[in-house]
Amino acid sequence: MSNFFSLLYNELFKIYIRKSTWVMYIILGLIAVGGAIIISAFDDVQPTEYTDNWKEELQEENEALHKDNEEFGYSFNDDRIMKNEYLLENDIRPLNYGAWQYTLENVGLVAIVSLLTIIIGSSIISNEYKWGTIKLLLIRPISRNVILLSKFIAIFVFGLFTMIYLFLVSMLGGAIFFGFEGFNPSTVIMTANGIEYVPIVGEVMSEYGYRIVNLIMMTTLAFMISTIFKNSSVAIGVGIFLLMGGNIITGIFSQYEWSKYLLFANLDLKMYETGNILIDGMTLGFSITMLIVYFVVFVALAWLFFNKRDIVNQ
Amino acid sequence: MSNVALELTNVRKKIKNKEIIKDVNLAIRQGEVYGFIGPNGAGKTTTIRMIVGLMDLSDGEIKILGKSIEKDYKAAARNLGAIVENPEMYPFMTGRQNLRHFARMYDDVPKGRTEEVIGLVGLEKAIDEKVSKYSLGMRQRLGIAQAILHKPAVLILDEPTNGLDPAGIREIRDYIRRLAVEDNVAVMISSHLLSEIELMCDRIGIIKHGELITEQSVKEDSEEADQSEIKVVLDVKETEEAIKVLASLELKAEKEGSQLVSLMTRETIPQVVYKLVEAGLTVYGVTGVKQSLEDQFLELTGGNIIE
Ligand SMILES: Nc1ncnc2c1ncn2[C@@H]1O[C@H](COP(=O)(O)OP(=O)(O)O)[C@@H](O)[C@H]1O
Ligand SMILES: [Mg+2]
Repeated sequence: MSNFFSLLYNELFKIYIRKSTWVMYIILGLIAVGGAIIISAFDDVQPTEYTDNWKEELQEENEALHKDNEEFGYSFNDDRIMKNEYLLENDIRPLNYGAWQYTLENVGLVAIVSLLTIIIGSSIISNEYKWGTIKLLLIRPISRNVILLSKFIAIFVFGLFTMIYLFLVSMLGGAIFFGFEGFNPSTVIMTANGIEYVPIVGEVMSEYGYRIVNLIMMTTLAFMISTIFKNSSVAIGVGIFLLMGGNIITGIFSQYEWSKYLLFANLDLKMYETGNILIDGMTLGFSITMLIVYFVVFVALAWLFFNKRDIVNQ
Repeated sequence: MSNVALELTNVRKKIKNKEIIKDVNLAIRQGEVYGFIGPNGAGKTTTIRMIVGLMDLSDGEIKILGKSIEKDYKAAARNLGAIVENPEMYPFMTGRQNLRHFARMYDDVPKGRTEEVIGLVGLEKAIDEKVSKYSLGMRQRLGIAQAILHKPAVLILDEPTNGLDPAGIREIRDYIRRLAVEDNVAVMISSHLLSEIELMCDRIGIIKHGELITEQSVKEDSEEADQSEIKVVLDVKETEEAIKVLASLELKAEKEGSQLVSLMTRETIPQVVYKLVEAGLTVYGVTGVKQSLEDQFLELTGGNIIE
């Protein structure tokens, strides 16, 4: 077993020793703090600082929001207004904007973490072919299954590290530009059951968590494709296309009953919390079963192709 | 007689119905250096890929220290070190990082061993540079270093002299002889140029179109050498009479300028000299010209090195 950790260490070493990995991290870091820089640079998008007079401030804010709604003839501020009213009714002082809320808003950047993980997952095997080192890997007294597993796990360790990095950079950027709300602040959010007052930490965890499903499935798909074709560009292309276009594909077919069996229809487990279920009759159990089935098929195909093949040059 | 370390029995490989390796049998003993020679496309690399487990066998069996590479892969692979085709390493890592990487793939390679092999192949100075900056010769050395990290009983080197200058080839010859003599390693070393590896081999096998067409000992002065025919140049004043004398010994001779050329075994040379002198001929000289392996190789492979 110590041997397996050596293999995992080897794989992570090969990922993190390369400059291209650090370039990815720098870009992700810049994007993650970029939002904070932009928000604090422009006065009119800056979040309100509530003082001890917060009740009056909230009321003023709501009046302004109502006015906006009327002006544009569209009630895009309703959520905000309802949240403010909830705070006033329950006598809860609103939380000033800070690191936690910024991090929560940065959850969309998990798509970039997925992208980077797909890139790593697509190239972890095909690169060995490209470099010619696959021959040196597969002549060791270690079965191909174990080599494949070490690579597969390394991809997700990379994904996890990158996720933690995104979280830390967002928190740090948020704290520097907006301040820190404390270790366990709570805030009001909209849920399926209306407005609730909840700890932000839990919200952050669940928002990031739901998106990991997509990351895992797309990366496994890309890993499978690159293992079969020994080519990372095809896999990266397909992975990114599906990452971006998955929702569109589901949208096109959602009128058909069978579309619930599509992978993309089952990627967003949050729909079971919010109640916006894509296709009638879908349940959390159904989606989880579908995800497991797809996952097993992807892994089995990768395993089959990696194990069977004679190792020859491209 | 030492033990057989690597054994191929009736090995065949078919790819897409084309028979690339046809019934190859060979055995290499511990401490023996075996030259695996053949023109490009003869099937050397394919045979090696099967030995190291990168390719399945279509038929036959390959054993390393008695363990089948197909049925008992881990035990067989533990005793095997190899370079297959080019010595490719991770270009973005240093030589030392590459060696550590491969050392970690064994349970029982101590840290000090990495330093030991670096010294053995003489890479101390460049070991902390990125492999992308290495010359081909340096990469060949690093390739050998990774192949011997775990002290394998069988070492397979596919064209390790490719692209090296004579000095580089000599260095490789030195390590390989040392590995065979000191550590009793069985070495299989392939090349399409016999001359490059002839000097480091105990025995050579020649492969052509996927068939092992001949095997030959390289050692001089062996009994075998006494019994094989060599070219002998006879410098005799009276050539016509000399031809008759040779004919009486059932030897054919041809005139080459003022000299005679004949094929005979080493054993018969004294008798020939005696008969010539007895016949009262003037003998200026008798020279045995050992036909080099290179000549034999060219003859066997039709002189067609690159196909
Ligand atoms: N994967 C493959 N598919 C089809 N033919 C192959 C494959 N690999 C090798 N060959 C053929 O097998 C023969 C032997 O190749 P190889 O073992 O590389 O020769 P060598 O190493 O002696 O130069 C060549 O004719 C080559 O074209
Ligand atoms: Mg070859």
